[in-house]
Amino acid sequence: MRLKLILFLFFIALPLAVFAMQGGERKKANTIDELVKMYDISSCKVCHRDIYEQWERSLHARSIYGPETTGRTAATFWTTITHGLMEWEHSGVKKPEDVRIEHLMPCARCHLPQLEDATDAVAQEIVRNIYALVKEGDENAAKTLQKLNINCLICHNRNAVIHKWVDGEPEPNVIYGTKKGAHPDAMFTAMKPSPIMGEAILCGQCHGLGPMFEFDNPTQCATLYGSYLWSYVAKGGSKTCQQCHMHKSGLGHNMQSYRSPEMAKMALDFNVEAIAYYWRDGTRVIPQATVEVKMKNKAGHVIPDG
Amino acid sequence: MPIPQQFGRGDRMGRGPYEKSGLIRETSLHPHETRTERFDIIFPPNIFDMNVEVELWYMPYGTKEVDGFLWNRADKTLSVSKTGK
Repeated sequence: MRLKLILFLFFIALPLAVFAMQGGERKKANTIDELVKMYDISSCKVCHRDIYEQWERSLHARSIYGPETTGRTAATFWTTITHGLMEWEHSGVKKPEDVRIEHLMPCARCHLPQLEDATDAVAQEIVRNIYALVKEGDENAAKTLQKLNINCLICHNRNAVIHKWVDGEPEPNVIYGTKKGAHPDAMFTAMKPSPIMGEAILCGQCHGLGPMFEFDNPTQCATLYGSYLWSYVAKGGSKTCQQCHMHKSGLGHNMQSYRSPEMAKMALDFNVEAIAYYWRDGTRVIPQATVEVKMKNKAGHVIPDG
Repeated sequence: MPIPQQFGRGDRMGRGPYEKSGLIRETSLHPHETRTERFDIIFPPNIFDMNVEVELWYMPYGTKEVDGFLWNRADKTLSVSKTGK
């Protein structure tokens, strides 16, 4: 009986041990360079050069730094830490050195979702670079921050599956897109169709609904997907984000917004009519002009967002 | 420009995304919507010709100087007659 029990426990314990090893957590990055290496896309560039070069021109390629000329996103991170976290009584942050992953995630959830795969040491390194950039104009800090981005592996692997109970977890060796088959790469050896690759919800994960209540201190950065659902679709719109921003615009993976001439023109009809005449008010004849400005929103979301 | 609500309470606009959790006023232009703005301008005394420049600015940080973006522009030349009563 004792032998049976021991064997029984052994047979139960062995599969559990294997399961734990298979499902064990991926080793976390301890430095920015390690995190960049975990999400390295240099091999994508070899075969998909055109797409890579399109992406390089998009804000996705500088999601922590922001526009090349202003570094506006990094500046907003600085403001969040300095005038948010450090001023809030219950945040646990009194100085920049107190910032941990949990403090950055309300921003990083979209600006750098892979930060979940890093330790607090990476959060600290990011904060040091943000302060060096904003306070000292440090060019090396700017370069370091520009290594962090929303790249091929975020949309085509990490965030390519949303409904994990339906579709399963994203597989570590799979590039999700529209095709199925072998993928000639040492690490990403297979291609699988993602059920949402052409759907608005893929973008809606980040270009969001409004306050993100899953955090202890909700933030509200993007509300685009909310206005897409409840204003654009509600009034009969049927295009997806990808149809306008990638295909109709001709910009492909260089996804842009109002600063791109293509998108600005597509988004808005702007028409001005003006006439001049004499107005009589009974005692006087006054020359005046009436200028009528008509603006029509042709985008799939409100303008502006916020 | 939408006016986001600071921490989802009260009458103050939030400073940045980290403070925003609601809307006090929603004045953005919605999909499919056409908005018409009308401006009546009186000619200055003894002036019969006028150039009107219309500019549509997007100001994500509230002012033209900080990252303002000129979205559209139109110029109109207007004249009124110099004779008659």
